[in-house]
Amino acid sequence: MIVEKIINKWILFFLFLIPVLGFIFEEPYYITLTTKVVILGIAGIGLNLALGYCGLISFGHAAFFGLGGYVTGILSFHALNSELMFSWPFVTSGSSDMLIIWPIVILSSAFLALIIGFLSLRTTGVYFIMITLAFAQMLYFFAISWPNYGGEDGLSIYMRNSLPMINTMDPLTFYFICLCWLLIVIFISAKLINSSFGMAFQAIKQNEERVKSVGIETFKVKLLVFVISGTITGLAGSLYTDLNRFISPSVLNWQMSGEIMVFVILGGIARLYGPLVGAAFFIVLEQTLGSYTENWQFWLGLILILEILYVRTGILSLFEKKLKYEK
Amino acid sequence: MKNKILNIKNLSKSYGAFKVTDEITIDLHFDEIHALIGPNGAGKSTLIKQIVGSVKNDIGSIILDQEDITDLTDVERAKIGISRTFQVSSIIPQFSAIDNIVLSLLDKSSKTFQLFKSIRSNKDLYSNAKKILKEIELFEKSDISASDLSHGDRRKLEVGLALAMDPKVFLFDEPMAGLDESGTNMMINLFKKIKSNSPILLIEHDMDAVFALADRVSVINYGKIVATGTVDEIKKNELVRDVYLGYEI
Repeated sequence: MIVEKIINKWILFFLFLIPVLGFIFEEPYYITLTTKVVILGIAGIGLNLALGYCGLISFGHAAFFGLGGYVTGILSFHALNSELMFSWPFVTSGSSDMLIIWPIVILSSAFLALIIGFLSLRTTGVYFIMITLAFAQMLYFFAISWPNYGGEDGLSIYMRNSLPMINTMDPLTFYFICLCWLLIVIFISAKLINSSFGMAFQAIKQNEERVKSVGIETFKVKLLVFVISGTITGLAGSLYTDLNRFISPSVLNWQMSGEIMVFVILGGIARLYGPLVGAAFFIVLEQTLGSYTENWQFWLGLILILEILYVRTGILSLFEKKLKYEK
Repeated sequence: MKNKILNIKNLSKSYGAFKVTDEITIDLHFDEIHALIGPNGAGKSTLIKQIVGSVKNDIGSIILDQEDITDLTDVERAKIGISRTFQVSSIIPQFSAIDNIVLSLLDKSSKTFQLFKSIRSNKDLYSNAKKILKEIELFEKSDISASDLSHGDRRKLEVGLALAMDPKVFLFDEPMAGLDESGTNMMINLFKKIKSNSPILLIEHDMDAVFALADRVSVINYGKIVATGTVDEIKKNELVRDVYLGYEI
């Protein structure tokens, strides 16, 4: 436990260090890369709550990531074009203010997670995986067939959304906005995991029948975890759209769900910082191996196989073992 | 009817043509331990599952404390006062012994949905859990992971989980299986103590324990209750000797 805390502090140290070095040495590319790690890490932490701590193997978290992204993109698109979003039942215009966009993203992601969770949590195992996947794929095909917002080509928003008195176009500033969200998400997740509610959902993962037998309504517990998990992932989708100033249906595809799951598994299931490390590892692989071959994911697959066969508890546990050994 | 806390009428369950429980009528009085005995596969554990709601009844009704609970879910039944142990130990393996007990206390104390307050700061929950651990003689092992406990200690822990719920009735499914003599004696003394607060429907193969504990005994065979009576009546019953006890008692 103490070793894990030391590692977590080192992770946070590097998250501060790398973008600052990128700024000092005028390499904004590294700032953008670290921003991507942070955003995808947030998405992974969201999924980890459901998958790692509660045992809900969702293969549809791209739905929340994509919804967060599209809500951000659509609001911004209407604000930039000065077009109304709706004129009935009340007049609604877009917004490029992050302080307006974030609450809308949070509420819409939570609502979507509530609907998907309410229907899919009546099943377990492979059926749960398939239902969550089906919901995400439905949204994916809906986005492809919606020409108003770019259809298959996606939607560009040209200008990053704004915050009062802050230049969000500056890569380092935007990075620290994302880092603030990461710290908030880690704080909330840590609080949840250590609460009585956290005790209940971690027990459900291990033995749901026993949890039911002590009078705990496991459906409600799982639904709330799923909603919180989906909301966090939706928020990550919003930041991702702002990072790229572009959103396309690809973020709703099952591959995105798979990638978020890979972050969790690579870093370490049911480890608070695991998905962040997993996302970092994934992006480093993408950037290094990707420069040699288009098929870099072959090597990712190989690493995943080796990890699942020989480590299982994720990259973080390797560091832990090394630190313990050195002590 | 007034002295009955649990009243089960004509409870049946079939899987295809195989009748696991066949119109079982059985009751549990206040202050009593009612033992349910019978050969393996007779339907005892299925009956427990029907009472707790994890297996649906084909027909029959279950009245708990004058309330019909037949259509309630398993969680609702647990909430209104049915507490059980499982035939095969069912605990939360990666939790410590004390955290297992605390989990069992959550619903009663309405703290399941406390989202942000640290569970460790709930001093009252942990002090109640410690009292229960002392009662089941596991206090010294409070912080040991449940998966590292011995088989006997897991059985004790399961009884502790049931105790923590402070239910109206206990349904214990072979709680003494695998316990050594001191563990069995501890359970016997504990059950004698708790039955005045919450009567016990007990499934048990250890006949010495059953005869030491039970106020009444029912014998089940091929899904049917074949006899009910006091320990002495059951011991003398020819049919019971024939189907289960044998003649060497």
